[in-house]
Amino acid sequence: MERKVNDLGGQPAGPVCLDEHPSTLHEKRVDALQKILSGSKLGVFTSDAMRRAIESNTAEDYKGMLYYDKWIRAVRDLIIEQQLVTAKEIDDRVAELRVRLAKTGKL
Amino acid sequence: MNAIPPRTGHALAPGATVRILKQPPEAHCRTPYYLRGAKGEIAEVRGLFRDPSLLAFHKPGLPMRILYRVKFKQVDVWPNYAGSKNDTVVADIYEHWIEAIAGETK
Repeated sequence: MERKVNDLGGQPAGPVCLDEHPSTLHEKRVDALQKILSGSKLGVFTSDAMRRAIESNTAEDYKGMLYYDKWIRAVRDLIIEQQLVTAKEIDDRVAELRVRLAKTGKL
Repeated sequence: MNAIPPRTGHALAPGATVRILKQPPEAHCRTPYYLRGAKGEIAEVRGLFRDPSLLAFHKPGLPMRILYRVKFKQVDVWPNYAGSKNDTVVADIYEHWIEAIAGETK
């Protein structure tokens, strides 16, 4: 019987860190982007689709990636899947921003 | 979440003995691995909801599924459970993961 990468209930995991920390700007931006895209106005994808995209990570990525890094990857995959943008458009824009950052030190 | 009540007589009644099916998970699955195959008891009928395994693929999620709150004895879930035999765990499980089985004779 198959167990998905996210389905960790009951497995040994060691102590759980319960420390609180303030959200970073990056985390808030990812959260806002997800809420705008999945909200009733745009409805590009559901929270169920978000979960499915996150769960489709390899076990290595699922365990290794930070929470909001998994979110932004899922948002990226879903806006491509829903044909809002193409993978090439994202890649081209990222390349453009990398060049700008290297030249000017700013985005 | 706006829960729609199931049609009269269509849902299992609270107290019914059930078993969670041991079947392969959907691509997006809300039934945890550790409960598959476990015996439990219907605690509450939560209502009809769109099927998350279909909503996950941009589909309308129809037909709607009855969602149950199911109560399990911890000793029925974990083979070597060391706590009290009265300890329970509760989970929300969709109807297509549940089969009704004969209850225990008391």
